[in-house]
Amino acid sequence: MSQPTGSPAAGRTPKPSWLGRVGRAQNIPYLLLGIGLLLFPILDSNRSQVDVAAFAGVWVLLALGLNIVVGYAGLLDLGYAAFFAIGSYSFAILASGQFNIHISFWILLFTSAFIAAIFGVLLGAPTLRLRGDYLAIVTLGFGEIVPRVFRNASVFTGGVNGIVGVDQPKLPAVFGWSGNFGFNPIPYYYLIIGVIVLSLFLINNLRNSRLGRAWMAIREDEVAAAATGINTVTTKLLAFALGASFSGFAGTYYASKLFIVSPESFSFQAVSVVVLVMVVLGGMGSMRGVIVGALLIYFIQSYVLIQLPGWIVSATSALNIDFLTKLDIGSYVQRSNFLIFGIILAGIMLLRPQGLLPSAQRKVELEGGTSDEAVADLGSA
Amino acid sequence: MPILETRGLTKRFGGLVAVNSVDISVEQGEIFAMIGPNGAGKTTLFNLVAGLYKPTSGQILFNGRSIYPVRDFWRTYSPPFAAYYMVLDRIRRGLGLGPMPLGLKPHAVTALGVARTFQNIRLFAYMTALENVMVGEHPRMHAKVWDSLLRTPFARREERQVRERARELLRFVGLERQADQYARNLPYGFQRRLEIARALATAPKLLMLDEPAAGFNPQEKNELMQLIQDIRSQGITVFLIEHDMKVVMEVSERIVVLDYGEKIAEGPPQKVRTDPRVIEAYLGKSA
Repeated sequence: MSQPTGSPAAGRTPKPSWLGRVGRAQNIPYLLLGIGLLLFPILDSNRSQVDVAAFAGVWVLLALGLNIVVGYAGLLDLGYAAFFAIGSYSFAILASGQFNIHISFWILLFTSAFIAAIFGVLLGAPTLRLRGDYLAIVTLGFGEIVPRVFRNASVFTGGVNGIVGVDQPKLPAVFGWSGNFGFNPIPYYYLIIGVIVLSLFLINNLRNSRLGRAWMAIREDEVAAAATGINTVTTKLLAFALGASFSGFAGTYYASKLFIVSPESFSFQAVSVVVLVMVVLGGMGSMRGVIVGALLIYFIQSYVLIQLPGWIVSATSALNIDFLTKLDIGSYVQRSNFLIFGIILAGIMLLRPQGLLPSAQRKVELEGGTSDEAVADLGSA
Repeated sequence: MPILETRGLTKRFGGLVAVNSVDISVEQGEIFAMIGPNGAGKTTLFNLVAGLYKPTSGQILFNGRSIYPVRDFWRTYSPPFAAYYMVLDRIRRGLGLGPMPLGLKPHAVTALGVARTFQNIRLFAYMTALENVMVGEHPRMHAKVWDSLLRTPFARREERQVRERARELLRFVGLERQADQYARNLPYGFQRRLEIARALATAPKLLMLDEPAAGFNPQEKNELMQLIQDIRSQGITVFLIEHDMKVVMEVSERIVVLDYGEKIAEGPPQKVRTDPRVIEAYLGKSA
């Protein structure tokens, strides 16, 4: 978690230059990763993988946002899709032919994050007295209500059809590029990388701040947190608000990238659960873990599960056993998509219950490495 | 002026009267102990003062200010709430129902300068010792959400100061070498000390310790008594619940005895020790 950066010695030694700090040995893998990510669109000639990556970024953002609520503040939120939907719709309504309002994407990116944050407070406020399972049930309800409201308020939202023809971002023309994003995935790809980097910066700041510590204190022991002077009401509301604001970013981007918004995109099983799985499986409270979790789940969902029937069909036909070909395993596999997804998830959780890249806390929690006496003491508390 | 005063403080849980019309007053700068058999209502009284429970009736004053029931609405609540509560309060008093039963929330009590520890240690288990103490600094910090989000120079400076103060406090309770260990991994005695350090981090005027010597060996008890003296010599009033008579008699200047929620004795240790009602409460009536 926190490195002891505040040690007196660190204050006295001359500060290394900005470049020197970036170039430290421990940062080199990250630098290489960054360069790889920036060069990726050049290496991928037909742009289809860039398009996939540009969508994967949405899930990374959502997982990072939910991680604030679930990982840091310990509030089990099953209705995160609601904020994603609110972000998407508030952008789509204010930047489309729906009411012929066309506000700039760049302004709305932050506006809809703000709107999502306000709804985070509104939906968070009634749940403040609830904990654990009860909180999960109420947030689950919100997650179901919000897309339904969008479906039925057809005057504003176009009902079941959603809003088609959402505006796309524009930049001033540079280097012979018109500045229109259009349907070209490459600018979207760079945009989402930029938004994710910004989010990482902000979330990292939060985690190591007064507020981040207060969240973790509430997660660990709410009564003790209140007794140490933390206003649990405002602190929890801030977790909901800030968590929701990142899904506002994601929603705005998603709507403009997809060109349309429709209520079907924000269902419980399509978003809320998937994002929660990304957070838990990646490692609650760990930013690196959550990113890896998001990418892995997205990869399994959008590539492995779709390709699997095809692989099986080609495998059985390659074996050329008449009996196997007749069984038509491929179509069974296709129909049991969710079953296979579930088995994969259960398998990963059995192998790594602490998540793929757990936070330091979770590591201690699940690996033990402590005297039983200390556990017993805290267990009785 | 006493730093903490309760007047006719009563708490009922259904039919059980846990604290029954108790008047105590803790003087500024003293070490004040509360003793009594199990179930006498000692921890309940702590919880009432800390704002965790709401009294059934009675009054609690801290530093001359009524923290239950709240009187100075305008200082305590934001204007719309203050106006609303004031009107309700007037109506209730007019009808002879007594004042609005409004108490401060636990965090607000802490911010006023009342810190506490818990009978069954309640640390933030998966945070390091240093972080636990830094959480304690929360009510003294001024970084707003924007400072936290953007890590402004102000936030950075404050973080540095808080970290430094937290280290000093760890040194004060003798835990400087355990700063980066998780609270749950510390031995029992260290956990108790860490809880005291966390409470001190809130810059209290009154420190309430709930059975700080529980489970300690004689050596640890002596160290604890020294620590309590050190805390008092910094000008912090200490109010403790303790079962260990050696600790109570040696460290405290005045003692109050509760039994079945009622105050049965009060005074200096020598006097309380020989009080027939106290002996009866602890040992039963002699035939």
